[in-house]
Amino acid sequence: MGWFAKYFPNAVTMKSDFIQATGETLYMTAITAIIAGILGMAIGIGLIVTQPGGILENRIIYNVLDKFVNLFRSIPFVILLAIIAPVTRIIVGTAIGTTAAIVPLVIGSAPFYARQIQNALAEVDHGVIEAAESVGSGPIAIIFRVYLKEGLADIIRSSVLTLISLIDLTAMAGAIGGGGLGNLAVNIGYNRFQTDVIFLAMLIILVIVFLIQLVGDWLARRVDHTA
Amino acid sequence: MTNEAIIQLKDIDVTFHNKGQTVEAVKKVSLTVNRGDIYGVVGYSGAGKSTLVRVINRLQKPTAGSVDVNGQDILALNSHDLREARTKIGMIFQHFNLMNSRTIADNVDYPLKGGKLSRTERKEKVAHLLDLVGLTEKATDYPAQLSGGQKQRVAIARALANDPEILISDEATSALDPKTTSAILELLKRLNKELGLTVVLITHEMEAVKEICNKVAVMEDGEIIECGDLVTIFSQPKQPLTKDFINTATQINQALEKIYRQASTLGLDDHHQLVQLQYVGATTDAPLITELYKRYEVVSNILYGNVEILQDTPLGNLIVVMTGEPDKLKAAWQYCQDAGITITHLKPKKPGVA
Repeated sequence: MGWFAKYFPNAVTMKSDFIQATGETLYMTAITAIIAGILGMAIGIGLIVTQPGGILENRIIYNVLDKFVNLFRSIPFVILLAIIAPVTRIIVGTAIGTTAAIVPLVIGSAPFYARQIQNALAEVDHGVIEAAESVGSGPIAIIFRVYLKEGLADIIRSSVLTLISLIDLTAMAGAIGGGGLGNLAVNIGYNRFQTDVIFLAMLIILVIVFLIQLVGDWLARRVDHTA
Repeated sequence: MTNEAIIQLKDIDVTFHNKGQTVEAVKKVSLTVNRGDIYGVVGYSGAGKSTLVRVINRLQKPTAGSVDVNGQDILALNSHDLREARTKIGMIFQHFNLMNSRTIADNVDYPLKGGKLSRTERKEKVAHLLDLVGLTEKATDYPAQLSGGQKQRVAIARALANDPEILISDEATSALDPKTTSAILELLKRLNKELGLTVVLITHEMEAVKEICNKVAVMEDGEIIECGDLVTIFSQPKQPLTKDFINTATQINQALEKIYRQASTLGLDDHHQLVQLQYVGATTDAPLITELYKRYEVVSNILYGNVEILQDTPLGNLIVVMTGEPDKLKAAWQYCQDAGITITHLKPKKPGVA
């Protein structure tokens, strides 16, 4: 470990800080992924089925969902963090900390994921939907047995994309005391001019992103039978 | 074949409104399909065929009219009963519409999911259906690994999963090569015979209709311009479009085109007349031509001949140049007409005037 101490003089003394920060990043990412995943999936499916020509066409619901997604996607995340703070306080009891960061993270990533899901499901051939209708499938069966099944490879690819951008957001959540690797890199590495801390935090994030991409690609390839 | 109506469409109108434009895809169409029919609906793309048949299982809601399938008023059904009714109306498509994420067996199994059958019963049923369409060994493959013809067979097996009484084929052979088309049509005919399946076949190819249909309707601009049983339509088409379709199917158009192109070499005048002879049923051509010579000294030079067997009835077409004295030719014509042969005097257009 001699070389490590040589190139990472500050980081080597902060082992527990790094372990904690990595844990916080993974915690924020995982909890947000579950909540925003469910919300985004629901909104994405809602958009697909209610869109003009969809299996449950409904202009009003479609427009509401569509505007909602557009609205929250256009607010920069750093600003969203500040604006959403009172809401966070109501839900979590505090506006500061790792758990508190989850509220803006969900609100920031769910609409993005919804749009990704909508795009993935839009790729499902309309003819296949029609074929399912022609054998007597109802909306629920078409959503679960056709859309989610046929769109699975694209859903996985979109989820990977969303997860990676979510890690990006968790780094920013450090700004409100959300903790995590982003917080470590900025508050300690950047502010104390400890470049090696920044560098190591970045390396760990890169490894996490790389692993997610690797697993995601492998899964998507496994379920994709189009060629 | 009984004469019991299984599908009755009455005064169907389908109007689309799109960005201020109104398109009348189907106008006041009535159509009755009897149990056991293989009913062909022919027309060029945009004629409204697909829209019309989608009304049968209400994939398309008509703007006006009534739809009766198997004694059920399809338009009055609630969504649950409509889904139930749809299980008895199978449908196959031009682009097969299989699910790429499912194996062949799973695609065929799809309509059975959530149904009354147990897992083992479903497995047996799928195996039986795959056997019926001759794809048993492809059960674990994915659609991407299959040829077009094989994909359509899977689609047929899927459409039959819930034992429908009706199968709607929407341009199902249009994306296939001629040999595969024949094989798929052959399969539909077999299913019609073995299962008593009523088939509604939409196509732009009269060849397909000719091969398996017993009835045919010709559509143009959202209307059925002519319909009836196959032999009648083929032997006595009334509308120009119908004639056009039939002549293309029997390749007479192509033959005429060639003949007209070299019309000058035929030396047509009062003594040499280019005619088309058409006969239905048992009348044969060889004795006729001999008779014409024996009785009227009219020599017939055959330029083109074709015999179609439609529903076990031969339908013959001959293009000949008849040579003889004008009055003898007239008598020969009369003789042909008395023998039940349709005779048409063909007058080639002058080259360059076309």
